[in-house]
Formats: sequence, C-alpha cells, structure tokens
Amino acid sequence: MPRILFFVLALFVGAALVPQHAKTADIFPYNIKKVVLDNGLTVLAVPYGSPGLIAYYSVVRAGSRNEVEPGHSGFAHFFEHMMFRGTDRYPTDKYNDILKLLGADSNAFTTDDWTCYHNVASADALETIIDIESDRFMNLKYSEPDFKTEAGAIFGEYNKNYSMPYMTMFEKLQDSAFTTHTYKHTTMGFLKDIEDMPNQYDYSLKFFDRFYRPENVTIIVVGDFNEKNLISLVKKYYGKWQRGSYQLQVPLEPPQTAEKVVHIPWKNKTLPYLLLGYHVPAFSDANIDKPAIDVLGQLLFSQSSPLYQSLVVEKQLVEFISGGAEDHRDPGLFTVVSRIKDKKNIEVVRDAIYTALEQAKTKPIDPKRLADVKSHIRYSFAMQLDKPGNVAVTVGTYIAMTGNAESMNKVYGLYDKVTLEDIMRVANKYFGKDNRTVVTLSSEDAK
Amino acid sequence: MRATAFLTLTALMAIAMTYSSNAAARKTTEAQIVEVPVPRSPLISFRVLLRSGSVSDPEGKEGLNALTALMLGEGGTKKLSYNEIINTLYPWAAEIDVRFDKEYTVLTGEVHRDHVNEYFKIFSDLLLEPRFDESDFTRNKELLLNYLQNTLRGNDDENLGKQALNAMMYAGHPYRTTEWGTVEGLKSITLDDVKAFYSSMMKRGNIMFGIAGGYPKGFIADVKKTLAKLLAGSTPAVRLPAPAEIKGIQVTLVQKDNRATAISFGFPIDITRSDKDFYPLMVANSYLGEHRTFNGVLMNHLRGDRGLNYGDYSYIENFIQEGGSTFPVPNIVRSQQFFSVWIRPVAPQNAHFALRQAIREVQMLVENGMTKEQFEATRKFVINYSKLWLQTQSRRLGYVMDSKLYGTSYFIDRVARELKTMTVADVNRAVRKHLNCKDIAVAMVVKDAEGLRDALIVNTVSPITYQSKPASQSILDEDKIIENYPLDINKDKLVILPVNELFEK
Repeated sequence: MPRILFFVLALFVGAALVPQHAKTADIFPYNIKKVVLDNGLTVLAVPYGSPGLIAYYSVVRAGSRNEVEPGHSGFAHFFEHMMFRGTDRYPTDKYNDILKLLGADSNAFTTDDWTCYHNVASADALETIIDIESDRFMNLKYSEPDFKTEAGAIFGEYNKNYSMPYMTMFEKLQDSAFTTHTYKHTTMGFLKDIEDMPNQYDYSLKFFDRFYRPENVTIIVVGDFNEKNLISLVKKYYGKWQRGSYQLQVPLEPPQTAEKVVHIPWKNKTLPYLLLGYHVPAFSDANIDKPAIDVLGQLLFSQSSPLYQSLVVEKQLVEFISGGAEDHRDPGLFTVVSRIKDKKNIEVVRDAIYTALEQAKTKPIDPKRLADVKSHIRYSFAMQLDKPGNVAVTVGTYIAMTGNAESMNKVYGLYDKVTLEDIMRVANKYFGKDNRTVVTLSSEDAK
Repeated sequence: MRATAFLTLTALMAIAMTYSSNAAARKTTEAQIVEVPVPRSPLISFRVLLRSGSVSDPEGKEGLNALTALMLGEGGTKKLSYNEIINTLYPWAAEIDVRFDKEYTVLTGEVHRDHVNEYFKIFSDLLLEPRFDESDFTRNKELLLNYLQNTLRGNDDENLGKQALNAMMYAGHPYRTTEWGTVEGLKSITLDDVKAFYSSMMKRGNIMFGIAGGYPKGFIADVKKTLAKLLAGSTPAVRLPAPAEIKGIQVTLVQKDNRATAISFGFPIDITRSDKDFYPLMVANSYLGEHRTFNGVLMNHLRGDRGLNYGDYSYIENFIQEGGSTFPVPNIVRSQQFFSVWIRPVAPQNAHFALRQAIREVQMLVENGMTKEQFEATRKFVINYSKLWLQTQSRRLGYVMDSKLYGTSYFIDRVARELKTMTVADVNRAVRKHLNCKDIAVAMVVKDAEGLRDALIVNTVSPITYQSKPASQSILDEDKIIENYPLDINKDKLVILPVNELFEK
C-alpha cells in the first residue's frame, strides 16, 4: 500500500483565504498555470493559501447536453455513478478503501453541460489521488450486473426528488420549452429512459468511449502543492491516455414562435408555484447579451428589486421570487420562479412579473441600482472563493463553458461594461410573449 | 493577474493557537466573546449564539422562539426597515442569516472588510433594537406556518420522515415539536408575545458572541460596548427530562400519496460530545453510515449491492447538512442527542425489506462489533476527515463555540486525541452500551399505510423486488435471510397518521 495512506492530516489547521480585494481588474485573483499534455489533457494548477490541503477536480465537458440519441437521456449522470464502479487495478472496494484512509471528501456531480469528479484531501495525498483518478478515467471496467444495480440507485435518486415540486416543474418546463435540443430533458433524464437504463449496458460503454477522453477533460488542482511535481505526476499517470475521435452534433433549437402554457396538478398539499422560462443566448465571454441578461435578472428579481420587495415584503403575495439564467454552452432558459401564498393570486403575480419585464424594455433603470448590481456581482464572486473546492468549481464552471479559464476574467469585464441601454435592448430582444413558457403547479383541489 | 497573498503554514498555525474567549466567558451572567482572528483574511464572520430554542416556547405558543428569531434575522431595526437593510447589504454581497434549533438560535453573517463597520452597525441593531414591524411579523409567521403545512406535509418526504421520527422519540418531552413549532402554536402567537419573548431571552448571560477573520484593531472594543447595552443576567436553563423509553419497534406510518417510501429510525442516546464514549461511537457510526460517503456498510449494502435507493446513512447527533457540502452545520448544540438511520426513499414494494436490512445491519454492529481492521481504517478516516470540517474561518469559529458549549476541549483536536489512543475494544464496548436493535422508533412516509402495517405486524416475508437481480449468489442468499428477518413490532404503538395531522399541536 502506498506510503501516503498512513499520513494523518495534521498540517491543515487554517481556514482558506479569499481574495484581499474585491475591486481588482481581473476578477480571479490567483495565478493559474496551464499545461496541456500531448494527448490533449489540460492541467490547471492554482496555488492557494490552504496549507496541507488540496482540491483535485476533474472536469469532463460532457453533461446531459451530450445525450443526443433518443432513449438515452440521463446517461451523463448515470455515467457519473458508474465511474465509482472500479477498474481491474482498483475495484470499487479498493478504491473506496483508499479514499477512506485518506479521509478525503470525494464525490461527483453532473449538470446539463459538464460532469465533475471532486476530491478534497491532504496535500500529501496528491500522488495517490492522481493514481486512482487517472486509473478510473483510463481503465474503467464494470460488469453488466453492477451496471444494472447502479441503475437502481439512479431510480432511487429520481424517487427521492419526486416529492419536491421543483423536479416535476423543471421537467415540464424544459420538455415544453425545447423541441429539438437536448436541454429538452433535465440532467436526471426522462423517466421512461431512467426506467430503461438497466438495458443499456452497451450504450454506457459507448458513452465512456466517446466522452471520457483526454482532450475533453481538464484537471484543476487548487491549494498546497509543488507545481513541477504535479505536472510530472500528471504526465506519468495520464500520459498513455489516448485521444478520442467522436464528434458531437447537438441539434439546434429553432426559435420559439408562440407562448406555451402548462399546468401541473399536485396530489399533495402545496402552495401554488409559478415558473416562467424565456429562451436566452448561450454563455459568451465576447458578446454582452448574456451578461446584460444576468444583470437584468438581478435588477428585476434579486432581493433588492422593487418587484421582490413589493411581492414578498410589502404585499406579501408570495413567499419568494427569484429569477436568472444559469450559464450554458448552448442557448438555455432564463427562469423566474415564485411560490405564491394563495391560488387566487397566481395571475396577479404573473402579471406583476410581466409588467416589470415590460417596464425594463422602455424605462431606464436608476443608474445607482445598476452600480449596486455590479458591486454585488463582484463581491459575490470574491466572497465565494473561501476554500480550495470553491475555487476549483468556479474555475471548472468556465472550463465547462469555453474550455478556457480566462473566460472568467473576460465575462466579469463584460459585466462591468453593461449599460442601461444594454439592459433595455436585451429586455426587448429576449423577453417577448412568444419566447415564453409558463408552468403552474398547485394542489389538485386548488385548481 | 494580481499576485495573491498566501499564508505560510507557520502563520496559520499561530492563528489557530490564538483563539481565545473573553474572561467573562466563565461568568454565566455575562456575554462570552469568542475570537478566531485571521488577520490577513479580508472577510469577517459573525456567529451570535443565543441560548434560546424551541424548548423555551411556552405551552400553546410553540414556534415562538422560531418566530422571534426570524424577526431578528429577517426583520428590520428601529432605524432601517427590512427592505432598507436588504438594500444596504446588497451591493456588498453581505448576508445575515438565522438558524433555530431545540436549545440554541444562531445569527450568522459575513462581510468583506471594506464594509465591516457599517455592517456591524446593522448587525448589532438587529440584536439590540429590532423593529418588530407588524408587517414583518405577519410575513415571518406565514413563512413558518407554510413550512409546516405545505413544505413538510406536501413537498419534502425525507424531512417529513425525520420530523415524524423526532415526534416519536421525544413524545412528552420538550424536544417533541419541530424547531418551527406547531400549527396551532404559531397561530396563537401575537406580536406582543414576540416582544415579550425577546425581552426575556436577549440578556447578556444568554449570549455567546463569535467573530472570526480580519477584523480591524479595536473592533472587539465595539463588540463589548454593544453587548454591554443588553440587559444583564440570563434566563434559567430549561430542565430536560430523560426521553420516554422506547419499547420494541414502535412504528409511525405517515400516510401520504407518494411515489417512494421515506424511512428514518432511531432512539435517544444519553451521550454528547462532552462524553468520552461519544468518540468511540463516532468511529462506529462512521463505519455504519458516514453521511453521504461510500464508507458505511448501510450505503454499501443497501445501495451499492442492491441498488435499493440513493443513500443510507447513520448519525449519533442531530445532523443538518451545510448547503451542498457533505459536512454538518455548526451551532446546533443539544444537551440530549439521538442515534438515527436515514434510508432515502425506496420503492414501496421494498420498504419492508429495506427496514429489515437496515435494522439487521445495526444488529450485526451491536452483536459482532467492528474488526480490528475495520476499526483502524475508520479511525484514520475520521481523524483526517474531521479536519476538513474547518475549511472556512466561519466553520472554525462555529466549532470553537460548540466546544465551549459542550464543555469540552476544541472538538476537532479532541477527536484526534481520543482516536489516537482508542482501541477496537473501546468502540465495541461503546456500541454495546449505547446502541441497540430492539427498541427503536421508526417513521415511514408511505402511500399504502394499511398494507405496510399489516405486513409489519405479522412479519410477512418481504422479498426484495429488483430492477435487475445482482449476480452475486452471496447477496441473493443474504436476501433470503433479510426477507425473513423478524422485527419485534410493538403492535400497541403502531400508528397510522394522515399527513395533515402532523405538526398540528
């Protein structure tokens, strides 16, 4: 057994540090050393003040967006589970035993656009982590029975989410708003596909072969490490990984031409929910539309917005309201969600949201509010970098979008440039009725 | 790109050693101040612990502590309305939150040092001069009522199961209600009740004021001045009786139209972090079901081997996960704790099997104990993993404060120290002493409650229904044992509760 396994994490005694100033030119305050191996694997080394501790994140640029074939929705997420099912060298039990002895915080998550395998552990564990992580990325091997058993866990994950209205609401929203693009299904996938997963062993091998390739993966290491040592270890362990050749073609979503409206009856007691979705552009670090939409989201739906303060605090018609658009590689949705206290006010709340959006098209926002939003965005970014894992996931998000960590600084540069005119322009361009999908959910007896 | 200041190991170690509490900490009538200075950190973290929880709620006013807490955390000050506070904090991305539990309530906050003085003015005004606006009162009261009546009852089976278990374990005990109170209790609370409760609770002796980060020189003097404005003294501690004894397997079936069955079971234990036995039990619990890891036998045998559900974990104290992490939130200190197992929702046809299997796993731990090899691996894990709980200054501060309240040395250091000299015999002895597989409270959120009740009472054979059968013959052989595993159900205590009757009073 490697020496490292007997190490006791004695050195890590301090909390990590966030950036000293929130008002720097480049939003990301740490140096990033980038090395690309001959096989296309990218390594990003980010030294960070967390003595004795590292975050080791493997970012795969494959998410539910990549599930282009009918019948296979949910596979990126399913595959994330299968990555814990072992190799010849490190079968599941041995892999888990190693992580256990390290005392590592180890897990994974999948989104629409990317999958992330993350470890936070003692700095001395670096070589062991590189060894076991490279092994499963290059040599994953699982049996069909194991594959089928894991399908049960996926079904369990679906079941655990099912009692919460959010999953059903977002399933309906995406399924209704998209006709062609793979964002039509959630990351969990369509229920019928989840039910059929045990029969898709061969497809799982194909999925691994296509997307778990070095040119599609970035290793992000944050914390306390020797850079030379890191690069040399990555070359040693990942050097033989072979490039792939699969070319993904994600179908383009045609423009929505008419409003769509869906109602979900809920079997149990619930307050009514309202969920709106508008198609908006993909993440971009060059075009200002998406950053302007993000700023608009804060102006209209953050706690400091007049709409929030009216509906939540003053009139108290809703328990909460929020709105915004997650970054996506392809055009996604700007969503507004609210939990309404009384079914009779669903239309009142909906119309108040429409009114706020219409006003944003014609009435310039107070420049002070725009300045406040920009300040909020920068301080939020600075304050979230409070531990190695948070730094790694922040970098990973931008790697997922463009493959380039510098996109972080570029897009925050764009946020600073958003003008009142940009706000009005994007409000007009993207927030029309025909581009909208409306989902409501309420108790069956409250229809 | 700007160069970043990195702390050296030496510097950080020095920081770790300098946390201290104010001398007043030893006096029960004065506020304690707990400092974790991190001079080069640009953030300042606050944690103000109030010795006030749902156990302090007067009879018939269950929820009064929660509502009072929300009037501080989500209300205004004499000078600023709630909206004005939001608007002031927003450009700084600073926040003030509140969390309430059985015995303590904690007001937390974090701000960049660019704004710390203005921020602290608001933070301290919330403590000293809350607005108690009628409109905020209505909003916060509805928030609590809706959580009980709609979220728990209709939108979240897993937490519904946990709260149903709490009600069973602590029937007739001050812990019996949810931290949010009861529907009837909340409805009866007036704004005057809140004001009176605030006045009785907001006394210096009830407060532990925690601060961490790069606060400016002289800042603690401001904190002391603020605290000096509070009334002296403290409220008498609520005397907690021992929870009622659980006899046999007592089951509550919460009847609800759902897709899968949520299961929680457990029983009170008479140790906390203050006790030496807590530490060997911590090792055993990690082996049985460390939260959201693949270390536990529950997770490996129910999910890993059989694909029964998404996860299966166990706990020896109240556990609330912090955000999307796998770590517990600090500052939910309780003087009485409980052992519990959380079986995430299973297909209804497998609910009986899953319950049997999980209780059998507890039985095997109690009767067979851990092997030396299992103990050694788990001990190493717990020592290393517990250090990861300290990754932010706010969490470190929280653990320092919790240690003081439990009257123990710094918890994370104590974990390392206790485990260093521990033996497998210590663990197995503690397991036998504090855990059992016979007297257990079980809460299940289930659609066909009558059917499950009948099956439980007569110990019907409950074969697992696989989506796909595992290949391992040893698993299939074990299934035969599990499906027949006898559960000594206490028939007199088996109840079916329609979901809408829960949390009413």
